[in-house]
Amino acid sequence: MYKSLAGLTGGQLANPAGPEYSILMQSIQIRINGKEHVFELNRDITESMTLSYLLREKLGYTGLKISCDEGACGACTILMDGKAVLSCMMLAIEARGHEILTIEGLPKDDVVIEAFARQCEPGYGTALQCGICTPGFVMSTKALLSENPNPTLPEVKEALSGHICRCGCYSGVAQAVLNAAKKTGQEFLKKNSKGDRS
Amino acid sequence: MKKPYEPRKPRKYIGGYRPRIDGYEKASGQVKYVDDLTLKSRYPDMLYAKVLRSPHAHARIKSMDISKAEKHPGVHTILTYKDPEFASLKPTSAGWTDGVDTVSYERMMWRHFKDRRVLGEKACWATDEVGAVLAAETEEAAEEALKLIEVQWEVLPFVLDPLEAMKPGAPVIHPEITANNVLPKDAVGGSDVFVNKGNVEQGFSDSDVIVEGTSVHHNATQASLDNWCCLVDWKVDPKDEKVTVISNSYETDQSRMHISQMLALPLHKVRVISSYVGGQFGRGDTGDQPFFLFTAILSKRTGRPVKFKHTRRESFHDSRQPAIYFGKIGARKDGTITSMYFKSVGNSGAYADHTMFALKFAPTEISEVALAHIPNIKMESYGVYTNKLPACMMRGVGNSQFNLIFGHVVDMLAEKLGMDPIELALKNFGHEWGSVPDKSLTAVLRKGAEQLGWEQKRHKPGEGPVFEGSKRRGVGFSFHPAWHAEWQEERRGLIQVGITVNPDCTVMLEAPTVETGTGSNTCNVLGCAEALSFLGIGPEQISWSSVVDTETSLKDCVQTDSAVAYLQSEVIAHAADEIKKSLIEKAAQILKMNAADLDIQQGQVVNRKTPGQSTPLKDVFFKGDLAPVVVKVGKTPNTERTGVPYIANFAEVEVDTDTGHTQVLKLVVLNDCGTVMFASGAEGQQIGGQVMGLGEALTEEIIYDEATGLPLNFNWIDYKIPTMADMPDIDPILLEIWKGAGEYGACGIGEGTVTCTPRAVLNAIYNAIGVRINDIPIKPEKVLQALGKTRGQL
Repeated sequence: MYKSLAGLTGGQLANPAGPEYSILMQSIQIRINGKEHVFELNRDITESMTLSYLLREKLGYTGLKISCDEGACGACTILMDGKAVLSCMMLAIEARGHEILTIEGLPKDDVVIEAFARQCEPGYGTALQCGICTPGFVMSTKALLSENPNPTLPEVKEALSGHICRCGCYSGVAQAVLNAAKKTGQEFLKKNSKGDRS
Repeated sequence: MKKPYEPRKPRKYIGGYRPRIDGYEKASGQVKYVDDLTLKSRYPDMLYAKVLRSPHAHARIKSMDISKAEKHPGVHTILTYKDPEFASLKPTSAGWTDGVDTVSYERMMWRHFKDRRVLGEKACWATDEVGAVLAAETEEAAEEALKLIEVQWEVLPFVLDPLEAMKPGAPVIHPEITANNVLPKDAVGGSDVFVNKGNVEQGFSDSDVIVEGTSVHHNATQASLDNWCCLVDWKVDPKDEKVTVISNSYETDQSRMHISQMLALPLHKVRVISSYVGGQFGRGDTGDQPFFLFTAILSKRTGRPVKFKHTRRESFHDSRQPAIYFGKIGARKDGTITSMYFKSVGNSGAYADHTMFALKFAPTEISEVALAHIPNIKMESYGVYTNKLPACMMRGVGNSQFNLIFGHVVDMLAEKLGMDPIELALKNFGHEWGSVPDKSLTAVLRKGAEQLGWEQKRHKPGEGPVFEGSKRRGVGFSFHPAWHAEWQEERRGLIQVGITVNPDCTVMLEAPTVETGTGSNTCNVLGCAEALSFLGIGPEQISWSSVVDTETSLKDCVQTDSAVAYLQSEVIAHAADEIKKSLIEKAAQILKMNAADLDIQQGQVVNRKTPGQSTPLKDVFFKGDLAPVVVKVGKTPNTERTGVPYIANFAEVEVDTDTGHTQVLKLVVLNDCGTVMFASGAEGQQIGGQVMGLGEALTEEIIYDEATGLPLNFNWIDYKIPTMADMPDIDPILLEIWKGAGEYGACGIGEGTVTCTPRAVLNAIYNAIGVRINDIPIKPEKVLQALGKTRGQL
């Protein structure tokens, strides 16, 4: 359906009063961090716009980073319907009707964020240095723990091997993930035991 | 849980295992890097800059037609090399300084090799930034317009191999500098033979055993995730002209000097701002990149803020310097080394930049420390221009290349003498201000051997047990003198810090440095809490400013030599007395008492005449004018010659002799730190450096098409950086054996953590398969070739 737009220039579409506009105007609805957004195609977003561009440049969600911009580093990872996706490898229009979560949408006391921030256990170093890859790691960890709340070290390594940390904090990252899993498990038990009492 | 290190002197905050001060801000994605700070929404009238790139490895622009590009919608301005803005600029280099000192144009470190034009007509490597720059309303328009610039290229013959480039008749790349591509002798690097101690030939004649070998270091790249980016806003108003630069340069003061000197602007009219940077690793190396200048010129011409940003592909901008080393050692039967000779040919790539730093400067330092007890040493180096991407600074500059040959010939000599290489090392290496065996070297080697199981796992080369039919295991190590101790930082000059004590006794620390991930910010806060412990405060009561702004900040201490981790803390320790004096004077004024009678202990004002009575300092201050107490202190590094400590890496590998694949099973990383400033950060550096070290050893290499000279893998899919799944178990071991001058007497460790990894792995591979491979990265095909399992040449 987007092919029909190919012959039209931006100038024609820019005029909201023009007859083409009403025909071609399409609403793209995306839920981002719990909030419903409606974008008008060719006004707010274009067909070729990546989801990462929409989120960063148009909406200011700069927690996701663009480094390789071709799916090799993982820095732009966000969640779509709870699954980790590379936002640089998706078009914004592909997110239509989906639920997007960026790191800005996580609660302030998120267990994974806290675990990455606080990692200092002797022998593993910190879970981050320059920090530019960290939000991507955090989002993949969210997806991993929602599917597998109690991962083993090899499972953590496999799940996060799509990310590059040039500072090389992989040992600290793994510890942070395992600690977050432990804490999530404890909170889950606590919640359930409370449930039992009531 | 792994074992924590044991501090020589327990301290309250320094040396602790604790989270980074910026941990939460970074983990939650709140930290803003330059690309985040310069969104169009913040600068609505911002334009995007792009620069023309050469499609040829070596070419000259004959003519250029920009008329079509100029008409492209959204294009604002196109400037070419012929425009007076560029034609009038002085030739320059991108290697003004190694970052230790701030230098002017006249005093740039490699002033003999001014081989760069800010925007020239000649391209010296494929994708060189030449010919034309433009500014457009969107990145897309800028990119499209670039394609519409019509260029008539005079394609020149090119050369990629430095040995080929040295031959008569090779294409000459910078005739204005050298007629045969070999960088001439210069005042800083010295002549080709730059170390010549004793009589090397005599030393070899006096020896019983001689070994020699070669090693080849290919060009890995820094690969910071934070691609180069800057926004320049040149406000042209006759009364108030000012250039503001926001960038991810890690040198604000040097960037300001560079822009001021190249564009003839007074220093106070240039404002450079940097904040958090997503990784540095020596790239650049400095704030002297030409793109700051052409972005500034575009801003001046358009009157608009202009953003220039590299794509990942374009951020393959410089690399570690590839070097071919030849090494020869002679020794007596008892293992006493009588003579050492090293010769290297470095591939400087298209521009000289810091080539001679890697080839001469760093090895000279090594000869003064590790090799100080060797009576006869000769070192000779040749930097050679080729049409590859320029080689510059990268974490472990020069030392990584030197270690690859050094650890090689030491291992060979030990084998020939029938000695354990650990014993051979301890017998010969130390530093100028100490005796042999060196305590620090002994500690790192003995501890490393114990941790890896050296005695148990080592066997005769290639004669260990076979696993799973085709896999062989081996162990190896390499060691190196660390750098840098405080005395080696003399060129930095004054290191400035500011401390503001608020009326409520909270503290605002100004220890300006661009935080590139090193964790020196945490070291500084811990150092400040330690020094101001008389205030009864902890790190939580201290804030540290992450923004370095040449208009409002003190001079920044550049993240080079990994030395900022202790340099600013030494100044803070020194400043503590001065702060205390000012606080006591203020308290005395408020209390109308004699300052000489007062002291401050644990945040309390105490009167020496009436012991037992005290008043909280903040209660006293809240009776006063509520003005904070501010001190700004500058101190030059302590130059007392204390030598340096040692670092070592031990590796265990498993090589599949059928597939050629090398799996590293274990790495032990040892650093004698002098004093550990921040244990979790230091261990993070030890572990983190192995990604780069192991990448260089096994997978990372920029590959060129020999037929066209074009680079083939300027992306992270084909340029392989190790991920979590590729890394072995790593044991970081921190030691405090040596001590430098000053309160802490620490040394930089982060840079050195990558240095010994490739050689440790290579020696382990030799131990596993009994064949030496000395050309890194060790890809499977090289292993198979060494084992004689391939037909023909690879």
